[in-house]
Amino acid sequence: MYIELLKLASPETVVVVTALVVLALGLANERTAGLCSGVAAAGLLFAVAAVLMLPQQATLFHGMLVITPLTSLFKIICLVLAFFTVILARADLSSRNRGEYLALVLLATIGLMLLVGSEELLMIFIGLELTGLSLYVMAGFDKTDVRSAEAGLKYFLFGSTASAFTLFGISFIYGMTGTTALAAIGQKLTTAPVQPLLFVGIVMTLIGFAFKIAAAPFHLWAPDTYQGAPVPSAAFIASGSKVASFVVLGKIVLVGFGPAQGSAAWHAMVAGWAPVLAALAALSILIGNLVALAQTNVRRLLAYSAVAHAGYTLLGLVAGGREGFSATLFYTTVYAFTLVGAFGVVALVRRETGGDDLKNFSGLSSRSPLLAGCMSIFMLSLAGLPPLAGFFGKFYLFSAALRAVDNNGLLWLVAIALFGSLISLYYYLMVLKVIFVDEKSSSTTQPLNPSTSADFLQEISLTVLAAVVLFLGVMPGTLVARIIAAVQ
Amino acid sequence: MSPFLFWIFAGLMLVFGAGVVLNRNPVASALSLVVSFLGLAALFMSLDAYFIGIIQVLVYAGAVMVLFLFIIMLLDLRAEKLRKINWLASAGGIAVAVALSVQILYVIGNFRFSQQPFPPLARSTVDDVHHVGSLLFENYNLPFQIIGVLVLVATIGVVVLSKRELR
Amino acid sequence: MITLGDYLIVSGLLFTIGFAGVMLRRNIIIIFMCLELMLNAANLSLVAFSRFRVDAGLPNYNAQVFVFFIITVAAAEVAVGLAIIVALFRARQTTHVEDIASLKF
Repeated sequence: MYIELLKLASPETVVVVTALVVLALGLANERTAGLCSGVAAAGLLFAVAAVLMLPQQATLFHGMLVITPLTSLFKIICLVLAFFTVILARADLSSRNRGEYLALVLLATIGLMLLVGSEELLMIFIGLELTGLSLYVMAGFDKTDVRSAEAGLKYFLFGSTASAFTLFGISFIYGMTGTTALAAIGQKLTTAPVQPLLFVGIVMTLIGFAFKIAAAPFHLWAPDTYQGAPVPSAAFIASGSKVASFVVLGKIVLVGFGPAQGSAAWHAMVAGWAPVLAALAALSILIGNLVALAQTNVRRLLAYSAVAHAGYTLLGLVAGGREGFSATLFYTTVYAFTLVGAFGVVALVRRETGGDDLKNFSGLSSRSPLLAGCMSIFMLSLAGLPPLAGFFGKFYLFSAALRAVDNNGLLWLVAIALFGSLISLYYYLMVLKVIFVDEKSSSTTQPLNPSTSADFLQEISLTVLAAVVLFLGVMPGTLVARIIAAVQ
Repeated sequence: MSPFLFWIFAGLMLVFGAGVVLNRNPVASALSLVVSFLGLAALFMSLDAYFIGIIQVLVYAGAVMVLFLFIIMLLDLRAEKLRKINWLASAGGIAVAVALSVQILYVIGNFRFSQQPFPPLARSTVDDVHHVGSLLFENYNLPFQIIGVLVLVATIGVVVLSKRELR
Repeated sequence: MITLGDYLIVSGLLFTIGFAGVMLRRNIIIIFMCLELMLNAANLSLVAFSRFRVDAGLPNYNAQVFVFFIITVAAAEVAVGLAIIVALFRARQTTHVEDIASLKF
């Protein structure tokens, strides 16, 4: 059994070993910072190869480690997101403590992979905590900046409260069903009616996840953390952590609590988790988009738009079923890649101009046409304009929601989402207007530092991300077909 | 366990738990926390979970409380000065907490199993440490190893965050 | 006669006391202690359910293993949280949530 565990957990093992090597290299000498990044990136690519060599189907320890095409696909996505974070960190952090930082990125990635690849509540809890603890430290990592420590603290406070709620919910679910394996919970729920106590457990678990995905009204940590944390940490929190949380949330509600879905249809509400998620989605879309209108800092703007996007993504889960889940997975993947790219641009602008307010972006198109082009692709994709990936993702989500319930029962939710998208167009275009139209105001002018602005590796990675977003918009079928085939 | 002892320990736990919230001095709060957890450990033992009860005392009284007191002393925190209380926020907080407790208690009160007594245990010749231990190394082997990674993360994090930055 | 319901009610009360503390108190260290109360409320209900779901004359040890993991995780979490406080205190000289206002709406 142990040999089999080692074989099936080989990607995780590779990442752990890489993390230890990076940690040791970082401790050895401060000049090895460049080498650390290289080793971390190589280890991640090696882990992708290990994922590809896994068998098609396997289950260990009653679902604690599950391998299906779906989990393999999302493990690869998490690893790739971590890879881009490592590239971002290479240029953005000072070389002091680089080894520790990269080790934390790698260890957080292990948490994400475990989350994605598990169908057991204990394992999911430990995965959440492993990811959470690494991300809290990453958010507070920059000790020269007071805001970073505050970002870490806020993220920590909200995150631990959320995990306390999840845990209390899990204890009721365990008590009522006698098991923590999702498949067994699902079976128990089909045979017996849902007890009120079990329902309390389900709702508390969902509240915990709503914190993780930053759905309103549990989003209060997001703006401060996105703005205050070091840019690579913020990018990883916004992308990797979110993708894994949505995969797990989908598995929990659809596999574990499937029979307790209820209905969020306007004319026929039935108690269950679907109305709870629908309310969260509607609130997130409205609050996120409306507050984003008032922001003057690009990172805060991205944070509030992240709240809104969490709302859109929840639509697929409310719809439920294979189609809804695939739509959610596709959208969250596209969103994660877009956001890593956007944070990459923010990092470069921040290094050139010393800030990330909207005014720091003015005149970016004349300074660096490449960055401006990438940023416009990311922003337009977030706004959901064709032919970019964000458009197809939204289209897929909305159509899944409309088709899921008879008589267009979810029309009210889709209408709110469309209204929100319309509002969001304004602030995304606002960013582009600043980049392309506004002249660089003299007050923010600081001498460009040519030695730091030319970072080819990062510009290449941004171009790749922009190309991915464009490609997934033109030919979404490549990823959608894979996801649909993987979701049983 | 007799109802008398149960209510003594449960009362101890809840009263000192409330003490954590109400005390103005962080040191007093930390000490109430420990008493509250001693009550909790006694409740664990009343449920025949001796190993968990002992772990609870060791980890909380032995490690966590010392850590709290160490940090309080390190940062030299005194009792809080009376601050202007934000009544609106406090009322909101109390309202949410009361609503939550009423809901949970109502649901538990109407819960089907709630009036059933605990089923009797067979007289076992093996300690519960044995059972918990063998589960940890068999069925729960994977999470047990992951916990090692988690502790590594905590170690790195604590060292990096609390190290004084040399300028 | 003490029943499962009594234990669950006590655990629910402990959870609410902890949550009220998190909402009401402004001192970060005390907020951490209240978080510990919430986690331990979950432990109490898990152990009570473990004793209730007797299997072949033995309690259901799966829940006790779960509690073992929770205690470990909680200790690690406290350590990280206190380290964040120390880092913040070095920069700011405060442990009050209200004094941390450089990041706002």
